[in-house]
Amino acid sequence: MNAETTPDMLAAEYVLGLLEGEDAAKAERLLSVDDEFRAHVEYWRERMSALDETAPRLDADTALWRKIETGLAAPGAAFAPRVAEQSPSRWAALWENLGFWRGAGLAASAASLVLAVGLGLSLRAQSEKPVMIAVLLTDANRPAAVVNVLANGDAELLPLDAISVPPGRALQVWTLWDRARGPVSVGLSRSPQRIPLDLGRLPKTSVDQLFEISLEPESGSPTGRPTGPVLMKGTASTPL
Amino acid sequence: MLVAAKIGSDEAVADAVRRCATGDKSALRVIYDREAPGMIGVAMRILHRRDLAEEAVHDAFMRIWQHARTFDPARGGARTWIYSILRHRALNILRGEARTDLVDDFEPLDMASDEESPEAIVSRLSDAKSLKRCLDLLEPVRRNAIVLAYVNGLTHGEIAGKLGVPLGTAKAWIRRSLLALRECLA
Repeated sequence: MNAETTPDMLAAEYVLGLLEGEDAAKAERLLSVDDEFRAHVEYWRERMSALDETAPRLDADTALWRKIETGLAAPGAAFAPRVAEQSPSRWAALWENLGFWRGAGLAASAASLVLAVGLGLSLRAQSEKPVMIAVLLTDANRPAAVVNVLANGDAELLPLDAISVPPGRALQVWTLWDRARGPVSVGLSRSPQRIPLDLGRLPKTSVDQLFEISLEPESGSPTGRPTGPVLMKGTASTPL
Repeated sequence: MLVAAKIGSDEAVADAVRRCATGDKSALRVIYDREAPGMIGVAMRILHRRDLAEEAVHDAFMRIWQHARTFDPARGGARTWIYSILRHRALNILRGEARTDLVDDFEPLDMASDEESPEAIVSRLSDAKSLKRCLDLLEPVRRNAIVLAYVNGLTHGEIAGKLGVPLGTAKAWIRRSLLALRECLA
């Protein structure tokens, strides 16, 4: 908001849902790395949650539950216990947190990152060195795909791991270049192979731009935004 | 009595979240049965459309399932955790591409007819909550700004429009109201 915004006020406005753009990104980043900020957020969440209790209780039918159950059966949805075994307890819901994923990118061991980037590079002809690379990590912090953006604007996604796509579903690739606009679809594929990405209509890919893959209906998300589980995500960096 | 029931329900939900972390799907159903009606209500106040509200609730349950192990009761209540996941998802949907057709439904100066006024919402806050006492200390128009932001997911600009004040004024009101709330809640 401005230079004199205290962490407490930033947290309050974050909890109210008032932050946009850079302020929102800053809050999410802080939430994952700054215990004091997280405590402020938790303070406001606890206090403001009294307002949630004033909401009318509306009928929740079994059709919605069945959709949730179907979602649980999708690959990528069942990894909670597995992640849990290796991750320390953390109140902040990590999924919701762009900052977490940035942090995870740094935290992923240098070796696996170098391996992934090296693999991405080796698949390209030398003359087509990417100008931007994003390593997409699974929820368990494993590199699972690489996004290469070439100087001429061509871009592709290369899976590093087998991704199983159930019948009737497809992988949809999204990028977030403007938080105000939200994720934009840049690729859709039923086969978990190289996916060409259409970045032509978007501004030039920038550092820290988010890429992610979600599991969607065969013809793509009906809403124009990710609706299924996010299988992996990562942010773009410039290769040396 | 109400408070006791509420604490009981929070413990039951916390227990269900713990069981979700062990892969027990029946525990997720327990959360659904207890909380889904309230969650749809919260999402509807932000999204105004049943299909989008259900989408937000659906996605929230996916996250609850996937991240049950990250829930730490030492840091906050289970229901607060669940509703913050839901609100985050609902706000993302609201701020996403569906936004244009959502705001079309808003009457610029008046509340949409099916929408509860901020005053009515605050009046239904539990008297046992310090939030009610502290919101009541704010000037009505500033109190409304806080409620419109949290309950309906309005932006600074929309709040300014709804209250008929310049954007800078709305931001300053909200900031000062939050400082006053913080002091009162402490």
